Amino acid sequence: MSIRFRKLSRRRRTLIFGFAGGLALAAGAGLALWDRHPRDAHDLLALSLPDTHGSQQPLRQWQGKVLVVNFWATWCGPCREEMPEFVRAQRDFGREGLQVVGIAIDQPDKVTSFAKELELNYPALIATYETMDLTKPLGDRLLGLPFTVILDRKGRVVHTQLGPMKPAQLRTIIRNLL
Amino acid sequence: MLGFAAIAQNPLPPDRAFRFSARMVDARTVEARFSIADGYYLYRDKIHFAAEPAAAGLSVPDLPKGAVKDDPFFGHVETYRGAVVVNLALKDAKPGQQVVIAAESQGCADIGICYPPTVQRVTVPIPEGSIVPTPANEAPKKSWF
Repeated sequence: MSIRFRKLSRRRRTLIFGFAGGLALAAGAGLALWDRHPRDAHDLLALSLPDTHGSQQPLRQWQGKVLVVNFWATWCGPCREEMPEFVRAQRDFGREGLQVVGIAIDQPDKVTSFAKELELNYPALIATYETMDLTKPLGDRLLGLPFTVILDRKGRVVHTQLGPMKPAQLRTIIRNLL
Repeated sequence: MLGFAAIAQNPLPPDRAFRFSARMVDARTVEARFSIADGYYLYRDKIHFAAEPAAAGLSVPDLPKGAVKDDPFFGHVETYRGAVVVNLALKDAKPGQQVVIAAESQGCADIGICYPPTVQRVTVPIPEGSIVPTPANEAPKKSWF
């Protein structure tokens, strides 16, 4: 009887450990999937950053629109080269519900100067390197620039991209969401 | 040689794209080196050095000239590819002391990605029993740190 009990006990222990291990694995896998396929941009939309005039601009004010959030900096050549396409997209699709928002990891005076030169037609918000941390779970593991996040009208992440977006690709994504 | 497509799929983290190393070449000179991976480049004016502790008296010479690029916004900018080597002076380091060389750099990849400034640290041991010469009469370059 006692031998049977010990055997059962051992089986139970194996089962318990196995179950716990399975749970841990499942949780880990779930987290990994969450990292690769974020369903919403809660942290991103919770941001409130100053614009070039120093006024706080919460990103939630644009919820309900198709939102293109572009992280950039004046010291990032590829970012500057890509930005005229965002200006064109804002001009062409703004009335249909597109809102481009630039988040510059930069100094306000440099952002102001470049925004003027480019005739930027969308908000340029100012952020620090620490702000970039929220892009890691969205796929920017190296915190590189430019990094672009496209959200649908419900605030769900539809596309993220490290490196410049191709104009045709940007327009196709936007058209499909409007 | 890493191809353009390979970099695009799996860009290196900045400390591997711009690998920093430092070694003592004599009692008061540190050879600081950035080994830059193919397809990546560093900006000359974004490289800064500091010594920890600061009392080691780091003196940074002018950095070597880089390849000149005319940037539409910043004008004349210089970049490095391959490697850049700088001899740093530690004027007040003591024999047997461990000195940390902190190197800040910022660069980009040809695929169109730029990295934020990154600081890498290497500890260099000042040789025991080394005779540190009297510091030369040179104005130390102001450190960024």
